[in-house]
Amino acid sequence: MDFVENKPNGSIDSDHVTISEKVAAKALDQAFIEEQKRIFKNSWVPVCHESELPEPYDFRTSSIGNENVIVCRAPDGKINALLNVCPHRGMLIERRPQGSFLEGQASGNPKRITCMFHAWQFDMRGNCVYVAREKEGYQDRFCKDDAGLRRLRCEVNFGGFVWVNMNDQPAVFLEEWAGAAFSSIQSQISSEPLEVVHYHKEVVETGYQELMSQGLSSIDNDTDATIFDYGHLVTTQGSADNQDAKKGKSFPSPNAASCTSVRIFPGFAFNLDGPTLHVSTITPLNDKQVMIEHRGLAPQADNKEARHLRSKYYNEKFGPFRLQELSEPEQNELDSVKANSWYTHYYDEWLRWMDKHPNGETRIVDLPTSRSKNGEVDEHSGLSGPHIVVVGASHAGVAFVDKVRKNGFVGRLTVFDRQVGGPMERPPLSKGFLLGGGETVESKSLLRQKKWYKNNRIKLKTQSNVETIDTKKKTVTVSSGDVINYDNLVIASGAIPRELPDTQGMGNAFTLRQPSDANAIRQAANNSDTVVIIGGGYIGLEVAASLRKKEMTVTVIEAAERILARVASKPLADRLTKLHEDNGVQVLTGVGVDSINAEAGIFESVTLTSGEKIVGDMLITGIGVFPDSTLAASAGIETQRKDGGAILVDEAMRTSEKDVFAVGDVALRRDQLLAIESVHNAQETAAVAAAAVTGSIAPTIQTPWFWSDQYDVKLQSVGVVPINDDDVYQVARPGKREGAVSFWSYRGDDLVAVEVVNDPATYMEARQCLDTKQSPDPEQISNPSFSPIDSGGARS
Amino acid sequence: MDSESNDMENNSSADIERKIEKTIYQAALALDKNNWADWFKLCDDSFFYSITSFSPEISKDMTYFSGDKKELIGLMEMLPKHNTDHSPLHRHTSVYTIDVSDDGKTAESVSSVVIYQNMLDGINSHLDSGESRLFVIGKYHDKFLINDGVPKFINRETKIDNRRLDKGSHWPL
Ligand SMILES: Cc1cc2nc3c(=O)[nH]c(=O)nc-3n(C[C@H](O)[C@H](O)[C@H](O)COP(=O)(O)OP(=O)(O)OC[C@H]3O[C@@H](n4cnc5c(N)ncnc54)[C@H](O)[C@@H]3O)c2cc1C
Ligand code: FES
Repeated sequence: MDFVENKPNGSIDSDHVTISEKVAAKALDQAFIEEQKRIFKNSWVPVCHESELPEPYDFRTSSIGNENVIVCRAPDGKINALLNVCPHRGMLIERRPQGSFLEGQASGNPKRITCMFHAWQFDMRGNCVYVAREKEGYQDRFCKDDAGLRRLRCEVNFGGFVWVNMNDQPAVFLEEWAGAAFSSIQSQISSEPLEVVHYHKEVVETGYQELMSQGLSSIDNDTDATIFDYGHLVTTQGSADNQDAKKGKSFPSPNAASCTSVRIFPGFAFNLDGPTLHVSTITPLNDKQVMIEHRGLAPQADNKEARHLRSKYYNEKFGPFRLQELSEPEQNELDSVKANSWYTHYYDEWLRWMDKHPNGETRIVDLPTSRSKNGEVDEHSGLSGPHIVVVGASHAGVAFVDKVRKNGFVGRLTVFDRQVGGPMERPPLSKGFLLGGGETVESKSLLRQKKWYKNNRIKLKTQSNVETIDTKKKTVTVSSGDVINYDNLVIASGAIPRELPDTQGMGNAFTLRQPSDANAIRQAANNSDTVVIIGGGYIGLEVAASLRKKEMTVTVIEAAERILARVASKPLADRLTKLHEDNGVQVLTGVGVDSINAEAGIFESVTLTSGEKIVGDMLITGIGVFPDSTLAASAGIETQRKDGGAILVDEAMRTSEKDVFAVGDVALRRDQLLAIESVHNAQETAAVAAAAVTGSIAPTIQTPWFWSDQYDVKLQSVGVVPINDDDVYQVARPGKREGAVSFWSYRGDDLVAVEVVNDPATYMEARQCLDTKQSPDPEQISNPSFSPIDSGGARS
Repeated sequence: MDSESNDMENNSSADIERKIEKTIYQAALALDKNNWADWFKLCDDSFFYSITSFSPEISKDMTYFSGDKKELIGLMEMLPKHNTDHSPLHRHTSVYTIDVSDDGKTAESVSSVVIYQNMLDGINSHLDSGESRLFVIGKYHDKFLINDGVPKFINRETKIDNRRLDKGSHWPL
């Protein structure tokens, strides 16, 4: 009704006006504009489904934050998203919701997007291919090559949806943004091509915030919910041990019964409900109205019967004529607390994007920074409140400061690392990094760009070794001599590679942990022909594969009977041994090292216990790591043994000192027997500690996972493979593609871990099985047409 | 003989068409009143009802709602257990075509239908109740079975043009 008041003639009924006119005419609320600008124009938005533009030259239009978007399919089948605005005079180009450019239009040539105003023409990628009177009108001042439609970031993923981000440089890639949240339904929605068969929209007279709050607090009582990074939430109907839901088949089967909703921030829901996939997307129109689009999807290959069955189900649940259950009048207190925490998770993310602090304080990034006398930026100027000191700026330490800021922490943050240069990712160091030739470190391997630390007001001090901790005074002493007070201390000191005594101080003998190690190996490799690698673990094997690519002669020596003896199953190890041998690596197992020999202080050869001598230009030792806990142990913080071992922590990653946390490779939870050295573990434990410090909700712990790249083999592993356990056995499952295989480890009938070679789809299924505690029948798993997800065996 | 064939004439063409038209209008009145019993009386036991639409957005024919007589009766019984908008609907129907089959046993017709909603419930019923607004536009595609000169609905497809349907009713339009 407020719209009517803007009209000179008050008698005009607001319902005679189209939505877009309403949006344009309404004096928009400032907060709404801000929300559109900050959130919607920077998020990944599923604008349509690929089946809505099935053929080359098909298009579909949409809008994000009141900007017009057109999605087209190019002749090569690729989907592009463009701004639907003519670069000539800014007019809207295509007005239809959907159609094809294949045939000519009244004012347009075939296979071209033509602006009806002055007939500029564009191809399906947005390149300008014709400008009327180009030469006559513009002479050489202008060239059509410079006048394309603005290309938008666009990806097709998660069941064939077309995701567009208005920001050319989105904060995160789509996969990172939503991959984890979608992991529980990815295999179901990607197993066969889907198409949209139902579509309708509705405009609700509710503001966006209120709509989200209502939606999240009305989630059913018996729902299992898992929160994910970036404000996403995944709910599963029925409790985890609901046998009925488990026994039932899953989508795309028309008899599916299970029910999972993936709710993606800022407001898109993917509901796998029984035999149907319902997707709702929101477009806020103003501060009081939101348009919701509903899509129902079904497999393209459906027969008539299956289609009818799904259609009936969909209409009853999601169609415009669906019945709405009378809401339960009473909610018990526990439920509303649960529901509130889901809303809080969403709302935290909202605050982050809006740069607002939950307690009304100014967000960190808004504070002006100042420079100290010597001209250095002082990240802490203007900050007060508690000081958190972090020891170690690698995967765990950096993930911690990231999380704690995201949780709204506004105090001071200082991170110390003894390394030189910006903190780098470790996994590439044994892989692609070794193939590079330069002497400097590529910025793409940096964990975070320099600006990120500045923007988040994190003081990063490299080349600064933390020498002592005083837990009584709550101080640390740094190699510069500075004594720094802390309120909370986070130890993320990682691990140190084991060395063999003979190699100490020897030239051309290396271990690999830090970027500086990788740099040194890379340079030595450029001047060497042969390399001897001691240790057939993941790092040794990855280095072997990388150096083979450089055509070096490579020998791997492993004392155990097989490679990967501590971390992988035998069938996988056998396969990888063959892979390395096929690639020309000499793999020696079951043989020890007797001595390591040098000539003039430079590595020369290894003498094996068998008496054999292996000569080489360089040596790399990869025989495992031990936690770098000396600093903690000397400060009296409890470690596995008096003289070292991992730092023991509780489930919140708190050490024996209540203000001190430990995360990443250096930490071991008291209730766990085995440390898991992986990036995933570093990030997860960091998030747990950050939640404990800020009092936020702790993330849900996922089944541990790990990956490794060797030659053209991508290995993905989920769960921990029990070693030397006689009750554990593996079943091999051939993949659909050539060279793809997975090894499923069982103890009795219970699935414990899965290792996957070149088969990401199976990896997703395996992860889903382990995350939801399902054990597909070991007798059947070797049959590639048997679906592990549908089998439903529940794990005890 | 003559009089009998005259009767047939009356029953099978103009008269039947008139009866069909009347049946369509009676259905509109019954539906406007939510008088399901009266509406069902106009329907044969084999009656099948659907609401469909073509979406140019996805380029597909869609079914929004469907059910046979038994399912519809079941639905009507369930209505009180669900949240529905109580705003009455007002159907404006014009019969455009009626085609009676050669044997006079069945007929098909197309009518235009415009449905207004007379607001009762609202976000703020204090303000909204009493206002009328356009709810849905479309066409009825009806099929009849004619027994002893009495036409009864065997199929109604309500083909609506709307794909934007805000909160509304859940019963047959
Ligand atoms: C070559 C290589 C390849 C890998 N590949 C994979 C892979 O493919 N997938 C996977 O999941 N994992 C992989 N990993 C393992 C993974 O990188 C580690 O699990 C992860 O780095 C652990 O992180 P962290 O922060 O706990 O410890 P670290 O990465 O060990 O970092 C600890 C940091 O603390 C600093 N530090 C320690 N003590 C002090 C002190 N007293 N003062 C100041 N600074 C200090 C160190 O300089 C170091 O930078 C790989 C590791 C390596 C080395
Ligand atoms: S505005 Fe498009 S050609 Fe002129």
